[in-house]
Amino acid sequence: MEASVPTETSTFEQLMLPHLDSAYNLSRWLLRDPHDAEDAVQDACLRAFRAFGGFRGADGRAWFLTIVRNVCYSHLRQGKRESLKVAFEEDLHGSPEDSGEANAQSWLEVKGELLRQALERLPPEYREVIVLHDVEGLSYREIAGVAEIPLGTVMSRLARGRGKLQAELASLSQNTSP
Amino acid sequence: MNCDESRLLLDAYADGELDLVRHIELEAHLKACPTCLRRSEAIAARRIRIRDSLPRFPASQELRGRIHASLRAEARGAARQGPLPFPVAWRRWNLAGLAASVTVALLAGYSWGSHHARSTSLADEAFAGHMRSLQASHLTDVTSTDRHTVKPWFAGKLDFSPPVVDLADLGFPLVGGRLDQIDGHTAAALVFRRRLHAINVFVWPARGAISPPRSATESGFSAQGWTHGGLNFLAVSEIPAAELEQFAGEFRKRTE
Ligand SMILES: [Zn+2]
Repeated sequence: MEASVPTETSTFEQLMLPHLDSAYNLSRWLLRDPHDAEDAVQDACLRAFRAFGGFRGADGRAWFLTIVRNVCYSHLRQGKRESLKVAFEEDLHGSPEDSGEANAQSWLEVKGELLRQALERLPPEYREVIVLHDVEGLSYREIAGVAEIPLGTVMSRLARGRGKLQAELASLSQNTSP
Repeated sequence: MNCDESRLLLDAYADGELDLVRHIELEAHLKACPTCLRRSEAIAARRIRIRDSLPRFPASQELRGRIHASLRAEARGAARQGPLPFPVAWRRWNLAGLAASVTVALLAGYSWGSHHARSTSLADEAFAGHMRSLQASHLTDVTSTDRHTVKPWFAGKLDFSPPVVDLADLGFPLVGGRLDQIDGHTAAALVFRRRLHAINVFVWPARGAISPPRSATESGFSAQGWTHGGLNFLAVSEIPAAELEQFAGEFRKRTE
């Protein structure tokens, strides 16, 4: 046991720590606070390390991000009492928020800081799919694995989330430029 | 394809995530429908803007250092075989209070002892036992997906006979079993797998009455506890609480 520990630790670090930026980015976006995000990632690392003996998969990033996500959601549930329900929103029959209203040109003029504020206003379920897909570059299938939701839900959440993002952005822009 | 169907697919289309059939159908619709084509262009521009403008927050060097140090400390602690502290490493989140309340919620229905202090140590034991088990070489003493191999293995090692069920058809394959300690008893720990994650089911003799199922979630870990046939069952895993509940429900069904 004594001899195996340093090996285990460095194997873990070699396989998981390359994903630390992804882990922190997800945590930072979900918790919206740098200190909470760091605590969550550190906690997730220890949990991942303890669970590492049970890890047999090929995709270390997805496995690690799943743990990060669960730790973040626990914090959201217990602390800030954010609504975690996306009732009725998953329904593919609903219509996405005015996706067609803004034309292509106006989107290219949007300021990055406003976009960041707008994304932070979205419920975490939408925030996470946008961050995982548009910032981290995960495929729909990978997101389905990390967030443990069906592929169709990834698709509708992402479309709906971007629609909501656009709506938030419009309301923020109105407030900042009278 | 009509416009309503088309609208639902435009983001996935822009992301290159549509399957071939729907991709072809959508492109045919876009050729014929200027409204959807304009919408599609706006969505493509929106996607690019989101990608280019959203910041990615990298982990700080300080965080890397902290994690490196805490992993080394953890490895040294594990080498001494001490019970793992739980919860761990929160600087600012008040998880100690939280752990106590979760534990009370989990154990309130049990007749394991009316004192909160005792209940707290019991749930901590289960979580710690789960985490210990996940370290290499600790998961199972007997490794088999066959319950007819796992169940007899416990015979002679325990003064009770834990029911071993097969849930592979539901996506919870049996991995094996081992002996563990909980509540001052030698317990059977049955190990199942869900995708990449392990589920530990601790089984040990119950004192007192049958209780309704209880559940708890604790910072990334979930627990489901119930009592049946004079035995306590406590399932612990890092899988989502809803899935663990499903697992526990099916486990109960097949033992009743
Ligand atoms: Zn159309």
